[in-house]
Amino acid sequence: MENKLKKFNDEVKKSYGNILNLEKNNLKNFIASNIGPIYKSSKPSKEAYLNYEKLGGIIGVDGSVNRKGGASPHYVDFFRALAKSTKKQVEDRIINEIYSPILDKDMKLVLEDDGELENKRNQILSKIEVEVAIDAAKELKPFLIMMDGTFIRYIIDCKSTWEELRDVCEREKILLIGVIEDIKTHIIGSKLLEMGYTDRLSYDRELLFGRLDVGEYIVIEDSDKTRAGQLTSALMRSSNNPNIIGIDIIDTQRGRLSEMVDLIFGLTPENSRGVPIWLDIVDSEVKISHNTMEAYLESYLDSEIYERYFVETRSKR
Amino acid sequence: MKVVGITTQQEVFIGSKDRNFRINEFLIVEDINQGDILGEVIEAHTFNRYIPLDTGRDFVDDSVLESLKALGYAIDEETIYISKVRFLNEANYPVETGSSVRIPKFSEVKDFMLKSDDENGLTLGVIRNTNDMYEDMDTEYKDLVYTFEDGSLIEQREVPYIMDIRSMHQYPHIGVFGGSGSGKSFGLRVVLEEIMKHNVPTIILDPHFEMDFSAKASYLPDEISYENKFVCLQVGKQVGVKFEDLASQDLKNLLDASSHLTDSMNNVIDVLFRNRDSLYSFQNRMNDLTESQELGSVDKILDRINSASNDEERKAWQRKKEVFEKYDKTCSYNSVKGIMWRLKRLENDGVFSKDIKAIEDNMQVGRLVVIQGNTRLLQVFSTYLLNNLYHKRRSYKDALYNKTASEYFPPFIVVTDEAHNFAPKGYDSPAKSILKEISQEGRKYGTFLILATQRPTLLDETITAQLNSKFIFRTVRASDIQTIKEETDLTSEETNRLPYLRTGDVFISSASMGRTIYGRIRAAHTESPHTENPFDELKKKSQEKNINFFEIIKDKLPVMSTDMINLAMEIEREEEIRFTVENLEMKLSEMVEKGYIKKEENFLGQKYSLIEE
Repeated sequence: MENKLKKFNDEVKKSYGNILNLEKNNLKNFIASNIGPIYKSSKPSKEAYLNYEKLGGIIGVDGSVNRKGGASPHYVDFFRALAKSTKKQVEDRIINEIYSPILDKDMKLVLEDDGELENKRNQILSKIEVEVAIDAAKELKPFLIMMDGTFIRYIIDCKSTWEELRDVCEREKILLIGVIEDIKTHIIGSKLLEMGYTDRLSYDRELLFGRLDVGEYIVIEDSDKTRAGQLTSALMRSSNNPNIIGIDIIDTQRGRLSEMVDLIFGLTPENSRGVPIWLDIVDSEVKISHNTMEAYLESYLDSEIYERYFVETRSKR
Repeated sequence: MKVVGITTQQEVFIGSKDRNFRINEFLIVEDINQGDILGEVIEAHTFNRYIPLDTGRDFVDDSVLESLKALGYAIDEETIYISKVRFLNEANYPVETGSSVRIPKFSEVKDFMLKSDDENGLTLGVIRNTNDMYEDMDTEYKDLVYTFEDGSLIEQREVPYIMDIRSMHQYPHIGVFGGSGSGKSFGLRVVLEEIMKHNVPTIILDPHFEMDFSAKASYLPDEISYENKFVCLQVGKQVGVKFEDLASQDLKNLLDASSHLTDSMNNVIDVLFRNRDSLYSFQNRMNDLTESQELGSVDKILDRINSASNDEERKAWQRKKEVFEKYDKTCSYNSVKGIMWRLKRLENDGVFSKDIKAIEDNMQVGRLVVIQGNTRLLQVFSTYLLNNLYHKRRSYKDALYNKTASEYFPPFIVVTDEAHNFAPKGYDSPAKSILKEISQEGRKYGTFLILATQRPTLLDETITAQLNSKFIFRTVRASDIQTIKEETDLTSEETNRLPYLRTGDVFISSASMGRTIYGRIRAAHTESPHTENPFDELKKKSQEKNINFFEIIKDKLPVMSTDMINLAMEIEREEEIRFTVENLEMKLSEMVEKGYIKKEENFLGQKYSLIEE
């Protein structure tokens, strides 16, 4: 194992040598001249926060999925999406959903391939997240809705619902952003490749890892088809952690992007993974524990059904 | 407050969003099916899921918390309080999760806390963490005690701990355990003060000369005097052993305390000592024997009889001859001499010049009798004393039972600190057998023990097992904590707290209450004579000395260093204190150093003079 790993390490070094060795300032220069300027964000003042609170507070939206059961199709997925306001007196909005492939009539999805089921799962999750956001936007009229994850996901998984959310936010003048912990874009990489600086495509997270200073960010002008006209993104180092996070904002609100970047910078603990604390809090609340799930199943399913379909044999070991 | 999580019949977890819990406080769980169930907090925690301990996870900094607060969300308000509560009586079913919980009223818990009142019980302190109940407590329980916390006197704000003295009839013996500095001696003092309040005849063995109750505590506003309630008696001074009352075993113990006895010496006592011997008759018998043994043979004694100048001398030698013939074979000369020497030493200590009458008289009028002496002497004397008193009490009770007449002797309490010296585990000590006897059957005869020790592990196990009530102060030694675990009903949560108890805080494990109470001993009304810090004492003494000296010399200043001899003579003449010139100079330069006087140098030498104002 030791040798294999050493060899792997050497290979990565060889392939990505020029990226790993890239000078911080060289990359910054490249970005400045080919992608866009590097901005420096600053944390909002206390008054700004108080004002946000007055304007309706911030709503964080996140979803979670947990599975009970064994191999496909004998399982049931529990989905939950939560919209939670920073205003304490405001009640949480929650949407729950369950899905099990055993209810697919012809078992088409099951028989076709696992990827399809995986897609189905993502679609349900994305959909209820957007739905709970719509509900929150309509009912709570916050200043800002902060989604956990990129908008691209919603555009792919549930376009029409997503568009409804976007429309509601535009109409109600609610800011809508998404915060991405693991960015998967390769905009800088593509540029590097295109201009012949590298011979293979690198992802932005590899390139920017540790190369932006805390609080620095760049704005991505994107020509990607799915994105065009939909959203604008920023890539930012928001904490002492060298990782870069992404921030999506709908195109019509891009004028507020720098304000949003500042807000996220302000809400991110210095020594954290770089995610604003509010999303962490929503994330920890939306999770459905295994115990809760089992308790639900045991109380609401007939025990015969429960045993027949959803109890993993291995759990009886 | 709500019951949360998995419940059992004995224990539940209780969560609260706004009220922190304290260990040992009482709570009532309102179960919809079973009604109110009373429980006691045995563990208390607080928890905030957003501020995790886990260092691997993100740590939230203040600026972020501030911004969240500004946005309307205060993370610190997310703190929840969790306690584990154990029911005093097991519930019939596991308690319904989600049941409401409330703080009990005093009347609901009174029976679990108070079995007596100030008039009929020993008011020893307060029960910790009961201030929620103070307000609706009956006034007769209020303002009874002060406690001492962090160096200042605090008025009572909690339910008092009152020990039912009458319950000693059923649960007769008390142990007081705790390491040094834990408040054990202090606690013992409070117990004794309360006993005096009730005029219960009591014997205290006090090797440390500390159980004096005449000094009123300087910090107390109220005047409480124990004058005429106690008496201090020293072995050899006011009390002693009546030789005529000694049995041979008593005598052996006594002499052994003076200095170790060999087998041969023990044998001498067995052979030579007779019941009802007086000191004089016993010493005479030994004298006769040694004198005749010095002669060496019957023939030589016969010579002395024949050459006696008068009748008296002849009779004396005849007596010596009899003694010689009877005992020479069994008693070696050196052993007899050894006994005589030891007996002489005790006699010189004054042990045989007094009796225990003073003790009995004071007990008869319900006083606390403090018996003082060094540990060795006290060990032996107490053996004799306790045997004597216990059997007096016993024969009175037995006589009562047999309907025969006997002199009245009151029930009494025996108290000792450092009890492991009197009744050690693993080896014999003079006092052990009588203490054991009292511990086992004292209840029948109304004789009670209060044994304090900092090493419960070293105390005889039979006795430890008989201690029905225990006061357990801070204990750090693992072996002692282990003993406490085995010998009391303290839970492991409680024993884990033992090393961290504050001075004066105590677990009271009492059979009469059926549970352990966490309390604090009240401020004592009197002070031990040894409370002054020795370093303060040093300072005070040297100050006193300097002031005295200053008073002597201030009228004689200024003085030249060449004139010391005259000054010394003058002081000697007037004050009858003798100084050498060297001494005087040393003393004067000390006075200069301490700033009482000043020293100047001039062409004639050094001049000491007063400092002008």
